[in-house]
Amino acid sequence: MNSQRVGRPIQILLVEDNPGDARLTLEALKDGKIQNRLYIVNSGMEAIAFLRRKGKYADAPNPDFILLDLNMPLMNGSQLLAEVKQDSALKHIPVAILTGSQAAEDIARAYNLHADCYVTKPIDLEEFIMAVKSIVDSLLNQREIADGGRVIG
Amino acid sequence: MDKRIANPEVMAGQIKKSEELFRILFYSSPIGTYIVQDGDFQLVNHRLARILGYEEDELIGRRSLGFVHPEDRNTVKGSAERMLKGDHSLGYEYRIVTKQAKVKWVMETVAPIFYQGRRATLGNLTDVTEHKRMEERLRQITAEMQRSNNELEQFAYVISHDLQEPLRMVSSYTQLLAKRYSNKLDADADEFIAYAVDGAKRMQVLLHDLLEYSRVGTRGKPFTWVDCKEVVEQTIANLKIAIEESGASVTYDTLPAVMGDEGQLVQLFQNLIGNAIKFHREEPPCVHISAQRKQNVVAFSAKDNGIGIDPQYRQVIFEIFRRLHTREEYPGTGMGLSICKKIVERHGGHIWVQSQLGQGSTFHFTIQVAEGKSA
Repeated sequence: MNSQRVGRPIQILLVEDNPGDARLTLEALKDGKIQNRLYIVNSGMEAIAFLRRKGKYADAPNPDFILLDLNMPLMNGSQLLAEVKQDSALKHIPVAILTGSQAAEDIARAYNLHADCYVTKPIDLEEFIMAVKSIVDSLLNQREIADGGRVIG
Repeated sequence: MDKRIANPEVMAGQIKKSEELFRILFYSSPIGTYIVQDGDFQLVNHRLARILGYEEDELIGRRSLGFVHPEDRNTVKGSAERMLKGDHSLGYEYRIVTKQAKVKWVMETVAPIFYQGRRATLGNLTDVTEHKRMEERLRQITAEMQRSNNELEQFAYVISHDLQEPLRMVSSYTQLLAKRYSNKLDADADEFIAYAVDGAKRMQVLLHDLLEYSRVGTRGKPFTWVDCKEVVEQTIANLKIAIEESGASVTYDTLPAVMGDEGQLVQLFQNLIGNAIKFHREEPPCVHISAQRKQNVVAFSAKDNGIGIDPQYRQVIFEIFRRLHTREEYPGTGMGLSICKKIVERHGGHIWVQSQLGQGSTFHFTIQVAEGKSA
C-alpha cells in the first residue's frame, strides 16, 4: 500500500554481505507485494560510495531508506550507521537494522547511533516476509509524519 | 610464715614435681615451642628441632629469623610484633627453610614473656605444609573446573549462536522452495522438501534451546529478593493457552520469597508446570505447587497426576537432549529439565523427581535462602 502512497517504486539501499540474505530480502519484498527498486551493496565502504555518488555510483539515486546488516567485515553496520548519521546530507535517510544479532548490546548501540528501526532476522520465512513489510510500512509512516502528512516522492 | 613452704625438703619436692611436669609438657609437646631473646633461640623443644631439621643443641644461640624463608622475613617480623602487642589473632603463616634446604609452611603464635629476668618471646609453631599443599591443590582444581565450565558454556553459546545464521539460510530457502514449488513438481519432490523443512525447523528449536541452556550460566542476572507467589502467577499467565486447551488446574500453597534471578525462576516453574500439563493422562492435568522452609533452604515441590516416569530414568531425564518418548508421542527437544537443573544449581540447590510409571510425578527442588534473611 505504501508503494502507492509515494507514487513510484520505493528506492531501497540494502547493505548486506551475504548474497543468500540479500536474495531473501529481495524475495520477501516481492512476496510482500512492495513495489520497489532494490540496490544491493555488499560492504559499508560501497554503501558510502553509493550514498555520496562516488566513482561507479555517480548516477546513484537517493534511497528512500537504508536496510542495513550489522555483521560485515571491514566497515561494519554500526560504523556505517554512525557515518551516515553524522553526515548532514545523509542523516535524514531512515536506516533500518536487519540483522541476525539478538544481543542487547547491539540493539542499544544501534539506537544510540540513531537507527530508525531494529529488527532481528526471523528464522521463519513467513515471519521474515512480515518483518520486511513492517519495516517498509513503519519507515514510510515516519517520513509522512515528519513531512506533516504530505506525501513526498 | 607458712611452715609447709618454709620446709626446704617439701620445697625441693615441689620444685622437682613442677620440673617434671614442665619436661613432659615442653619436650614431648606435638607443637614446636621455643623461647627467643634478643633474636636468638634460648630454648627449643624436640618438635621444633624436628620441624627445622636440626638437633636441639644446634639451634641454641642461633638467630631465629635466619630460618625464615628470605621472602617472608619482613612479614613475619610485622606479624610477630603485632601479636606481641596484643593482637589476639589465630596466628600467622610463613615459610621456613630446613637444614636440608627444604621449604615448609608453618603456622605460628607468639606471646611476650619474661625469661631469666628479661623480656623474651615464647613461640609456638605447627607444620602446616601438608594442609597448605592440599589447600593449594584444591584451589587449583576449583579454578581449573571453573575455567573449563566457563569454556564449555561459552562454547555452547557460540555454537548455538553462530549456527543460527547458516541454518536460517537452509531453513528460509527450503521454506521458499515449499512455498513456490509445492504441487508444481512431483509427489516425491514435495515429500523431500517437506522433510528438509521439518529437519531445518527441528534444528532451529534444538539450537534455540541449547542457547537458552548456555544462557543460564553466561547471561544470568544478579540475585534479588523474589516473591515466588508472583513467579508462579506469572508462569500461569505465560502458560494460559496450554492450561485452557488441556483443561488443567494449577494450584499453589502459600509460597515464600527467595533470593534469586526472577526471570530464571519463571523459566524453572514454567518448564516444570509445562511438563506436568504436557505429559498428562486421559483426565485433565492437575498440578500443585508447595513449599517448605527448612533452615536456610526452601524445598519446593510440583506434584502432578500425569503419566509418571519409570524410576530407572529419574537421573537421565535431567541430561541435555534426553527424551523418553518419540516426537510423535510428545514434541520437544529434551532440554527443559536440563535447563531446570542448571537454574536450580545456579541458585545453590538440587532437583530430583519422585515418580512411578502411570502414577504422576513430583518434582522437588531446593533453593538456598541467603543467610540471615527470613523467607
